[in-house]
Amino acid sequence: MTRILLIEDDTETAEAIVAELAERSFEVQWAPNGVEGLDRARTSHPDAMIVDRMLPGMDGLTVVEALRNDQIRTPVLVLSALGAVDDRVRGLRMGGDDYLTKPFAIVELVARIEALLRRPTESRETILLAGPLELDLIERTARRGEREIDLLPREFRLLEYMMRRSDQLLTRAMLLEEVWNYKFVPATTNLIDVHMGRLRHKVDAPGEVQLIHNVRGSGFILRSHQ
Amino acid sequence: MRKIQFIRSNTFLWALAVAATLALFVVGLFAFVYRQLDDYLIARSDRMVTTQINFMVDLPPDRRVRAIADHLQQDSRRVHYAGLFSADGARLAGNIDRVPAGLDLDGTVRSVRLDPPGATAVRGPIVRTVGRRLDDGDVLVLGRNVDETREISNVVGQALALGVLPAFCLCLLAGAWLSVRAQKRVEEVNQRVQRIVAGELRERLPEDNADDPFARLARIVNGMLDEMETMINALAGVGNDIAHDLRTPLTRARLALERGRTHATTLEQLQEVVDKAIAGIDQSLAIITALLRLTEIENNRRTAGFGNVALDEILREVCDVYEPIAEDKGVALGVLIGRGVQVWGDRDLLFEAIANLVDNAVKFAPSGGQVNLELESDDRTALVRVSDSGPGISEQEREAVLRRFYRSDKIRNTPGVGLGLSLVAAIVKLHGFRLIIGSAPGGRIEILAWTAGEGRARRMPVSNVGSRKREVDVMTGLTRDRLGAGTCRTSETEFRLVTPSLVACPSASRLIPVSRFGMWEQ
Repeated sequence: MTRILLIEDDTETAEAIVAELAERSFEVQWAPNGVEGLDRARTSHPDAMIVDRMLPGMDGLTVVEALRNDQIRTPVLVLSALGAVDDRVRGLRMGGDDYLTKPFAIVELVARIEALLRRPTESRETILLAGPLELDLIERTARRGEREIDLLPREFRLLEYMMRRSDQLLTRAMLLEEVWNYKFVPATTNLIDVHMGRLRHKVDAPGEVQLIHNVRGSGFILRSHQ
Repeated sequence: MRKIQFIRSNTFLWALAVAATLALFVVGLFAFVYRQLDDYLIARSDRMVTTQINFMVDLPPDRRVRAIADHLQQDSRRVHYAGLFSADGARLAGNIDRVPAGLDLDGTVRSVRLDPPGATAVRGPIVRTVGRRLDDGDVLVLGRNVDETREISNVVGQALALGVLPAFCLCLLAGAWLSVRAQKRVEEVNQRVQRIVAGELRERLPEDNADDPFARLARIVNGMLDEMETMINALAGVGNDIAHDLRTPLTRARLALERGRTHATTLEQLQEVVDKAIAGIDQSLAIITALLRLTEIENNRRTAGFGNVALDEILREVCDVYEPIAEDKGVALGVLIGRGVQVWGDRDLLFEAIANLVDNAVKFAPSGGQVNLELESDDRTALVRVSDSGPGISEQEREAVLRRFYRSDKIRNTPGVGLGLSLVAAIVKLHGFRLIIGSAPGGRIEILAWTAGEGRARRMPVSNVGSRKREVDVMTGLTRDRLGAGTCRTSETEFRLVTPSLVACPSASRLIPVSRFGMWEQ
């Protein structure tokens, strides 16, 4: 069972997160302040941590920094009510692996935690496989079974990202940050949906089993196992 | 109260100090003149008595008594003293009672007391006196009273006093006048400031004559007040807009929840209601996020994330992101890049700005229309132009579009928060670039950027060179130097002041509100 340590001082937020994660069969430990959180992190070796930025006693980033100084490489998702860009950069620089601004949708949090837990190892493989999909990273070609898929460069990048994280929920914000590598909130809210629509149109031909699924209100999943 | 203030006022105290110094100086001068005069007169008098005594010593003894009598008789002013005494001290002739004590009989002149003969009760004056012992043992004493120096000194002193008194008074009067004048101006300024504090933001300090420091100060303060008035008005507007724009989605969420609570009978119905409510809350959050971001960029003076950014690359990527959207809408999105160019800036922010412009252009271009993304550049400047075949921004709206939350009535139903162009303007301003809004029909917005080297040079501190306050029209990107009322010149063109609030820009053949000129340092 995957164990997660949550360091969060707001009881209600913490309870909601604990309940939601427990429902998804995570084992969640909760520490209400930085000192206790750091203690737990050192003793119980969780698989991932969620750390609030503002904590009583000890700042969240200080906790992360202390852990990193102890050579503890547990993936950390930093939560913050401060949305500033500089703040985010600082959070990541001080050892956080991902950064989520409050308020957030609970699915976004879960998706990001799952992404952290299942971070793809940087493989040397030149061919990615996911279900019937096959992506040749050298030749820049894609096929589904015997069928060649003709992809534009941006679609290729998107599919590559999704195949590396198949069977994971990928939120719009994650896709925008990772695939396009830009941190911004597009004025057109369905920007990612349009791109995904294009890709899906090419990947899932009529009559074929649908691989790219739209999870309503949350994001997208590439399902390799049906 | 007023009187105490006036006496306490700095100006008056300074005047008082100057007057006192002047008086001291005059008194010192008087003392000096007096002393010099005194010395001179005494020396002269001493020479005269010495000459006289030498003359009398040379006379034959039998003629001396007579000579002394003549000498005293000729002295109408009674300043001369003379006495001839026998060797045992008995007076033989003259108006001195006895040989004064303390007088050396060797011909040196001294100040001694000379008593008149017989009168023991009345003490005589102190007189410059010389005495000689004659060959026959007699003693001759001659004296000359130099009290005329006192008279002359009195005259000089009176003259100086007559001079110094009016000067002193004049100083005090001038001080008092200056003090009262300053007080009056301060009082006037105070009254106006009180009015401003009370909320009359249009009030300004009096700026009367041309080059007195007070007027210059008033002009500086007025300039500041202009800026602040614009800002406060903008803020007030923003407050209302925020309230309105937040209330709308929150009201929707509330209504949905309320109705769901009473009417929903199945779980599906309730879920639908909750989804609606979440959407409403999400929109409110999006507005807050966008606002915070805007504030962050507007207040961010730091340029930590700055580096060389390839504009052509950003343009291609923006195009890449928006191509499917444009295609879905049936809008042709074209990108025209003259040649690659690098600017000095923040990559993410520049991407966001250009993406926002393209987003808008695609949104407003009609189906079957065209959106063009162009990059032109020379050695110094790079121009990003986003144009569309939509309605464009009318002259009346040109100013308003940069306001937060402004959304043209025509497009009220188009989704969006209404902060896009404000955000673009803030990003452009942070970079020191210029945002130029073209005239309708057809949307055309340009960002005029400096190329990498040029941009960095422009950002270098110029305080040593003496930085010049310039003003830039945030809409046209034109700058103007304040040359005085009626004329202003820009780097690109010349403006003509049409009314106090509008300037003509010949190149664009239109009028620009003066209030749109934000302060700019270059």
